[in-house]
Amino acid sequence: MNTPPPLLELRSITVEAGDRTILQVEQLRIERGETLAILGANGAGKSTLLRVAGGLRRPTHGSVSLNGRTATPAQIRQTCAAVLQRPLLRRGSVRANVETGLRFKGVPAAERRKRATQWLERLGLEPLAEQAADSLSGGEAQRVSLARAFALAPQLLLLDEPFGALDAPTRAELLADLRDILNTSDTATLLVTHDRHEAAATADRSAVLHAGTLRQIGPTASVLENPEDAACARLLGFDNILSPAAASRVLGRLLDHAVAVRATDCRLDPDGNGAGTIERILPFGGFTRAIVAIHGIRILSDTPTPAFERLSQLQPGTNVDLHIDASEARTLPCSQPTRRRAKTRNHPDDRLQ
Amino acid sequence: MQVLWDAVTEAFRLLLSGDGETWEIIARSLRISLTATALALVLGLPVSAALAFGRFPGRRIVLALVNTGMGVPPVVAGLVIIVLLWRSGPLGALGLLYTPTAMVIAQTAIALPLVAGFSTAALQHVDPDFRVQMQALGAGRLRSLWTVAAEARLPLLAAGMAGFGAVISEVGAALMVGGNIAGQTRVLTTAAVLEASKGAFALALALGIILLVIAFAVNLVVTAVQQHGRA
Repeated sequence: MNTPPPLLELRSITVEAGDRTILQVEQLRIERGETLAILGANGAGKSTLLRVAGGLRRPTHGSVSLNGRTATPAQIRQTCAAVLQRPLLRRGSVRANVETGLRFKGVPAAERRKRATQWLERLGLEPLAEQAADSLSGGEAQRVSLARAFALAPQLLLLDEPFGALDAPTRAELLADLRDILNTSDTATLLVTHDRHEAAATADRSAVLHAGTLRQIGPTASVLENPEDAACARLLGFDNILSPAAASRVLGRLLDHAVAVRATDCRLDPDGNGAGTIERILPFGGFTRAIVAIHGIRILSDTPTPAFERLSQLQPGTNVDLHIDASEARTLPCSQPTRRRAKTRNHPDDRLQ
Repeated sequence: MQVLWDAVTEAFRLLLSGDGETWEIIARSLRISLTATALALVLGLPVSAALAFGRFPGRRIVLALVNTGMGVPPVVAGLVIIVLLWRSGPLGALGLLYTPTAMVIAQTAIALPLVAGFSTAALQHVDPDFRVQMQALGAGRLRSLWTVAAEARLPLLAAGMAGFGAVISEVGAALMVGGNIAGQTRVLTTAAVLEASKGAFALALALGIILLVIAFAVNLVVTAVQQHGRA
């Protein structure tokens, strides 16, 4: 039996800006109903990738296929709806904004109203429906953007860091709402973000984009926990990247590979031998970060603030021991990254390019 | 002071007495200047859209030319048009010189850079991603441009007002290509110049006051549209 073609497929895509190549993707598929997160730092090419996928930017080379057939940007745009980082609303009421895309597509007024009402209710915007869009808060405006996109019932929803400009509680609330909607919808979603937590909360598969190229792609849990190289590790929250020599000194055994470990997996022990010295303490609200020098190497250690406060009188200059959870340490190639497969492979894309 | 007072009373007398010639001049002034402004908008808005969103060779040079055109004295524009329309000029065969059509052409040439320049700035002031967002919701190329124009409607109306203000009040080009022929090409500004040259300062000032009242009335209507829904 033939496998159905993916909803959207990017093939041999290159995007150049002047004499610079800002995106180079050999292949990327988005299947019906799945949520794919593209993780990348600022300037990695995430938004460019999203715009190419949505027919909003023409690639310099390469093609985009829709349901197995090469599609023009205009054809792609008819199947997509996008929510950009900043909520860009038109003048007028919240309801008129939610109806914007439906109006573009020539949906009759009664149907427009019905679908807008449905999504206004779903996203808790009904009380604001007749309010002017320019009077909304950032979180409310982004809700309107989401409602406006969902009202179109797109086959592919494109989310370009939609929560990036929101405060933490609003972001968490909106993310939870988005997850609920995506779980009950058959819309495929391409989410680009620099935040691994957003990927973890929403995406079936994730990919890491670094300097315009895809480095890793696979099931989200696998990608988030198995960085391929130092650049991916940093993006995935592995705050401590140790060279083989440094890792050997810190871990006390000879290693021939680099190691990545999250600051949360480096535990401070004030009662040990005191091989390390606290250099700085940085309170971050919910957790406290200590920068510890051990054998001449700086290691970051994050401790929940209440637990940190229970530790006896830690301050810069205090000698501590550092316990690194070996099971949470990840090995990295010591030089240029080699091409490795993600841990679990269940998708044609789940390989490194 | 007496001249000013006489001018004000004369202006009201001309307006309220229903003086046929005055009203004819007012109507002609409005017809010519509003037509020229409308033409400048029709021509200038696509130019400004191309300048604001297009990426083509020479774009910056065209933009610099438009911006320079905003400061061209009407008399220079009039000179160029008169050279083109002169009997032996390239468009002389059309026989347009000293007609209201020639005045519309000259005033359009004066208003066009103003409308195009201000409109380009207005369109560029809208977030560049706004158009992308509209396209990402299914708007075609023209529809997305229209939504950007709708977002920028306040400064775009201001661009139209600037164009109208420039042409209703200019005299150099109107005089050169229109010739100030009574009953045919005489407008408020040329009539005022004629009366001033005859030493009839009160009448000239009265015409000036009428010009201001007309310009004010037109701008009041446009401003009401522009600020509709705002406190």
